[in-house]
Amino acid sequence: MINLKNVYKEFQLDENVAYTALRNVTLTIKEGEFSSIIGPSGSGKSTLMHIIGLLDKASRGQVLVQGKDVKRLNDDELSTLRNEFVGFVFQQFNLINKLTVLENVLVPSIYARKKLKYDPYKKAMYLLERFGIAEKAKSYPNKISGGQQQRVAMARALIMEPKLILADEPTGNLDTKTGDEIMKLLGELNKKEKITVVIVTHEPYIAAKTKKQIRIVDGKIV
Amino acid sequence: MNYITFLIKSALFNFSRNKGRTFLTSLGILIGVMSVVLLTAAGLGLKKYIQTQFESIGTNTLRVIPGTAIRNGQFQGGPSSIGTIRFDEKDLRTLTRIRSLENVAPVFTKNGKASYGKETKFADIYATTSDIFPVLNFTPQYGKLFTRSDSIKSSKIAVIGPKLAENLYGNAKDAVGKNLKFENLNYRIVGVTQSKGGGGFGGPDLDSLIFVPYRSAFSFNPDKKFLTLAVKVKQGQSIPRVKKEITEALLRRYEEDDFSVFEPTEILSALNSIFGTLNIALVAIAAISLVVGGIGIMNIMYVTVTEKIKEIGIRRAIGARKTDILYQFLIESVILSLFGGLLGLILSFIIVFFVQSVFPAYIDLPTVVIALGVSTGIGVIFGVFPAKKAADLTPIDAIRYE
Ligand SMILES: Nc1ncnc2c1ncn2[C@@H]1O[C@H](COP(=O)(O)OP(=O)(O)OP(=O)(O)O)[C@@H](O)[C@H]1O
Ligand SMILES: [Mg+2]
Repeated sequence: MINLKNVYKEFQLDENVAYTALRNVTLTIKEGEFSSIIGPSGSGKSTLMHIIGLLDKASRGQVLVQGKDVKRLNDDELSTLRNEFVGFVFQQFNLINKLTVLENVLVPSIYARKKLKYDPYKKAMYLLERFGIAEKAKSYPNKISGGQQQRVAMARALIMEPKLILADEPTGNLDTKTGDEIMKLLGELNKKEKITVVIVTHEPYIAAKTKKQIRIVDGKIV
Repeated sequence: MNYITFLIKSALFNFSRNKGRTFLTSLGILIGVMSVVLLTAAGLGLKKYIQTQFESIGTNTLRVIPGTAIRNGQFQGGPSSIGTIRFDEKDLRTLTRIRSLENVAPVFTKNGKASYGKETKFADIYATTSDIFPVLNFTPQYGKLFTRSDSIKSSKIAVIGPKLAENLYGNAKDAVGKNLKFENLNYRIVGVTQSKGGGGFGGPDLDSLIFVPYRSAFSFNPDKKFLTLAVKVKQGQSIPRVKKEITEALLRRYEEDDFSVFEPTEILSALNSIFGTLNIALVAIAAISLVVGGIGIMNIMYVTVTEKIKEIGIRRAIGARKTDILYQFLIESVILSLFGGLLGLILSFIIVFFVQSVFPAYIDLPTVVIALGVSTGIGVIFGVFPAKKAADLTPIDAIRYE
């Protein structure tokens, strides 16, 4: 489903100095996988995930999404893929504070260009119900707990019925128990709904809950 | 929640959180729209005012004046415009012989002090004949108008306007039979005219005139000349043809550039074109404040974009296109500008409402439509650069921004 071939990512720090965050990364994520990208802080995990999730572009190398070279896609097509194909879950939750929980979940459906086969409102309520936060639908994100916010973020990631969920340290800001619950929900999505899930973590015990581990050190897959 | 209500909701939330800032920003547009709308309303009012003044004078009449000040409904300058000739009784007889004319009234006017006892007022005296009454469409309210035979004799009798009568005698009705002193001449008032309304604001005050037989006033008109010959055309005659007849009759004695024959409505259209130009100039100056208001909006929109970089990143990450971000900020700036425009319009309506008791200013539908359209346009024009800046942020840089 996703293929990276000899991908490099360089950040231009100033005119002459560039920092290479990813070196010669080649990897494949198959449909239906539940995998983790694990490595120490600063190793390039987030950078890699941003490239997989089409938020950022590789400096060199090839990125294929369902066989399509992303270099050939324009900004609108990339936006559409982020909208329909990928669902993001971030460490800092990244909800929009001025919108209610329910509205946050609905935002991707507002940007949808295709006609949805289902009522997004019903779908949103179903997801909130399923994640046990239905009674918070009218609350604002800064009025609910971190674990609840991460469930809202997951509901938002799922509203468009994506094929791929990318979660960057989804448990990083949560206590162990709440983190485990989030991991359990992600596992269920993979198992019951056959959604491909990739999580980023630096904690081996979290990575151990996934079926495949991709190790990265200093921007290189090891 | 559909796309548009979602965008509007986002914008409104932002305003409710920054009420002071929102109000101050729209203040620029408010002031701009208000000055433009009020000036337009004043222009419309002036036009209407002039029109009613001329309507009360009556239709089917013509004026003959020395010089070429009015030609084809436009005022004219130049040396010939003032004119060197003055009409006399011979010209009066020439016009009286034209059969298509119902009335011919010679007019010599002078502004001076009118007094009764201790009361004194400045007023315009019309030294004329009884023909002036049908020409100007004046009828008596009290007493009577003087007659043709009074006109020929140099009788010291006068007909005055109701406002002047009230000012000098306390009550218009009481004026009849009383004495009136105009400068050094003494008259006996025989009638008071019906009110024509209007007056003030530099327009002719038709309710404060004094009419006297012209031969009684030769003491301030020693040359026995007239500045105007006012005529009423017989029913059913074509005005352009009568104009030509008068011109031909006078050309036997004068040159073409010595006099003009025109309808009072030509003054109306000439005045309208002058005030119209003046008003456009004033409105254009006021429009500068709209541009200043627009720059204020642009400024605040740049601030808003910077404050929301993270949010823009989140929206881009979950599928917003560049155009979605562009519209979001454009809608915000349009609402901001339209809000100012709407407030300006409401304030203008309130001000015009109070002004109307003294001046017939009014706001018409095109003004409302243009005011709202211009406010929207300013929101778009001055919002587009900040919105473009927001839309062009790369998703990853935006979402990483703290
Ligand atoms: N926009 C950028 N400009 C410059 N350097 C960057 C940029 N983004 C990332 N880097 C650098 O690239 C390296 C990898 O960053 P990345 O965020 O991918 O690490 P990470 O593995 O996710 O770390 P953590 O576990 O702390 O989140 C870091 O050294 C970081 O400083
Ligand atoms: Mg990271």
